[in-house]
Amino acid sequence: MSDVNNGISRRSVLKGAAIGGAGLVAGGSLLAGCGKKQVTGDVHFTIRGNLSDAGAKIAIAANDAYTKKTGNKVISQAVNSDDFQNNFVQIMQGTPDDAFGWMAGWRTNARADAGLLADVSEQVKALGSSLSAAAIQGATNPSDGKQYIIPTTYYPWGLHYRKSTMQELGLNPESIATWDDLIKLCEATQKKGLVGYALGDKGGWEAMGTFDILNMRLNGYQFHIDLLNGKEQWTDAKVVEVFNHMGELIPFMNKNVLDISWDGMRDLLLQKKCGAMMMGSWFANDFLAKSQADYDDLWIVPFPEINPEHGIDSIDAPLDGISVAANGKNPEGGADLAGFLGSKEGIDAAVAAGDTNIYISSDFDTSSYDAFNKQKLAVLGAAKNIGFFLDRDTRGDFAGPVVGPAIQSFLKNPKDLTKILESTQAQWDALPAL
Amino acid sequence: MSTTIVQNKEYKNKQKTKDNFISAIIGFFAFVWIFPILWTLWTSLRPYNDIISYGVFSWPRNLNLDNYFQAFRVMGLTKYFLNTLYVMVPSVILILFLGSLIAFVVSRYSFRFNLTLLLFFTAGNMLPTIATYIPVFWLYIKIGDLFGNRSLLYNNYFGIILIHVAFQVGFATFVLSSYMKTVPKEISESAILDGCSVFRHYWNVMLPLLRPPLAALGVLMSCWIYNDFFWALILMSEDSKRPVTSALRQLQGQYITDFNLLAAGASIVAAPTIILFLVLRKQFVSGLTLGATKG
Repeated sequence: MSDVNNGISRRSVLKGAAIGGAGLVAGGSLLAGCGKKQVTGDVHFTIRGNLSDAGAKIAIAANDAYTKKTGNKVISQAVNSDDFQNNFVQIMQGTPDDAFGWMAGWRTNARADAGLLADVSEQVKALGSSLSAAAIQGATNPSDGKQYIIPTTYYPWGLHYRKSTMQELGLNPESIATWDDLIKLCEATQKKGLVGYALGDKGGWEAMGTFDILNMRLNGYQFHIDLLNGKEQWTDAKVVEVFNHMGELIPFMNKNVLDISWDGMRDLLLQKKCGAMMMGSWFANDFLAKSQADYDDLWIVPFPEINPEHGIDSIDAPLDGISVAANGKNPEGGADLAGFLGSKEGIDAAVAAGDTNIYISSDFDTSSYDAFNKQKLAVLGAAKNIGFFLDRDTRGDFAGPVVGPAIQSFLKNPKDLTKILESTQAQWDALPAL
Repeated sequence: MSTTIVQNKEYKNKQKTKDNFISAIIGFFAFVWIFPILWTLWTSLRPYNDIISYGVFSWPRNLNLDNYFQAFRVMGLTKYFLNTLYVMVPSVILILFLGSLIAFVVSRYSFRFNLTLLLFFTAGNMLPTIATYIPVFWLYIKIGDLFGNRSLLYNNYFGIILIHVAFQVGFATFVLSSYMKTVPKEISESAILDGCSVFRHYWNVMLPLLRPPLAALGVLMSCWIYNDFFWALILMSEDSKRPVTSALRQLQGQYITDFNLLAAGASIVAAPTIILFLVLRKQFVSGLTLGATKG
C-alpha cells in the first residue's frame, strides 16, 4: 500500500518537476527577452568609514534609491575602513555582507582568485558603453578575464600647490613641462624660505606616489607594471635612475620626511609652508572643511615630463568601486545593488546627496563640477595609461612590508641605494607563489 | 612636656632630605605615567580646526567640550555599552565559577595529576593571543558549518564569551588555587568528617572563604574584558554587535582621523574603568598580590 503510494507520489513529484522545469525554461527565456532579471531579497551592504562621514550618508542615499526602485531592502552597516581592509580575508571567509565599497587592482584580483569575491561581469556588461574600455580593463582580473568589481569613482595623483603661494613667489607651476622646470620651481620656492617639495613618509606609502610617477615618466607604464609584478628586476639600471631622480628631490624636501605622515604633509600646504606636493587629490576635502577660500586656492597639475618617449602619458589614479562577497547570504542581490550603484540612477542619487567624487561613468554629467574637479578631470584626461598606485598594483605582502621600508631607508640614506635595491629584489624572490 | 622624646636633629633632617628625594623620584615617574592621560584630556578640549591651522603644539585659541558632545552623538554609546555588558557579565561569572571549581579540585584533593592539571590550565596564559587568531577563527567557522549555522560561534556573543572564558580561566585558576592553599586544611578535614559531599564542601565551605579573591579577580577580569578589542574585532563581522572599544573606531574616517574627537571618545570610554578603579582600589591592589605568599 505504502509502496504504491510512494510510487504515485514519486511519479507525481517527477511530473511536477518536469512541468516546473519547463516553466522555468519558459520563464527564463521570457526574462531573457526582457533583458532584465528580477532579483529579490534583502541586501547587506558594508560602508567603509564612519556613519557621520559624508561618504556614509551618500552611500545610504544611493542604497535608498535602490530600495525605491526594486523594493529590495538594503541593510547598511558602517565599519572602520582600516579594520575592514586588514581583516578582509577573514571577513570574507566568515559571514560577510553582500556588497561593499572596494578598490580595483591586486586587492580585488587576488581575493577573486581565492574565491572570495563574486563575478560581476554581467553587471559590468549591462553598464555597457558608459564605462570606458580603460575602466573595464582596470577592473578586469587578468587571471580569468572576468570583473569582480564595478568601477565607480577615481581620483588622480598629481602635483598640488596653492595658487596664492605661487603667485606671491611669482611662479607659475602650470608652465612646468620638464624635469628641469620642476627643479627650478623647487629651487625658487626654497630660496623664499619654503619647503620646495613637501613629503611625509612616516606611513611608508606616501612616497610611493613619487616613486610611481618617476618610474612611469622615466621608464613608461609597461615597465612600471612589469616591475611590480616581478617581470623586471629592482636592480635594473632603470630603477636606479628612478631613485637617482628621487634623490635629486631630497634637498628640496622638508627635513622631517620620515617623522610626518600624509596629514603632516597636507598641513604644510594648508599652512602655506611649502610649494609643491605630490599627492592623491582626495585630501581636498580637508581644505574645503577648513574654508571655501582654502579650497578655491588649491590646484593640481600633472607631474612634468622627464623622458620624451613617454611624455606625460601615465598617471596613478586609484579606481574604487563596489564588490560582491561570494560567501554572502545574497550574492545575486549584492551584484544587482552593485550594478545599480554604478549605473546612472545610482550615481544621480549619490550626487544628489552631495557626492563630489569623480565618477568614471560617461553617464555622469560633469558640467556641475567646480573648477578644481574640472582640473582633476583634465589631469586624468592627459594620461593614456592608468596605474592604481603601488599598493594596489602589486602584491599586498610586497608593497607594505618591502617597498615601503625600502623607500624610507632610501630617503634616510640615499647612499645605500645599491644595497636597498638588492634586498628589495631578494625579498621579492623569496615571496611564496600565490 | 616631660615625655617628649629627644630626637637627634641631624638624623631628622637627613631623613627629611631622603624623603624629599624619594618623593621627587616618585613624582617624576607619576608624571611620566599620567602625562599621556593628561595630554589626551588636553587634546580632547581643542577643536580639530585649530590643530590643522596652527599645529599640535600651538597655543590654544579655543577650548571647549564640543568634541565630547560630538563623540557622544557619533559613537552611539548606549548600544555599544550594552554589547560590552552582554559579553562581560556572563564571561566574568563563568570565569570565576569554572576557575574556582578547578582550583578547588587541584588544591584540595591530592591525586596523581593535580599539578599537571594546574600547569595545563595556566600554560594557556603563556600563549600570545594573536598566535591563536587564525586557528580560533577557523575553529569557529568550521564548528558553525558542522551545525549548519555559521553564526553559531562566529559573529555571536556566545563565541566571544567562550573565548574570554577559555583565555582567562587559567589565570583565575592559578590565583584561586594559590589562595586556597593558604586556607587551613583542617577546615576541609572537619567538613569531610562531618559528611560533606564534594559539591557541598566546595559550595558551602570553600566558596564563602574565597570572597576576597573572587572580588579582586572579578574586578580585574571585568577591566580586562572591558578593554578587549582584538577578539571582538576578528570574531564579529557585524559592527552593531561589537563592544564599546570598537565604538571608538567609528570616530576614524577612511582617510581622515580627527584626533581631537578621538581623544574625547577615548576619555569617555576609559571613564568607567577609571571610576571602577577608584571605587574598588582596595580589591585591585589585593588582586595584584593575591597568592603571592603561599601558606
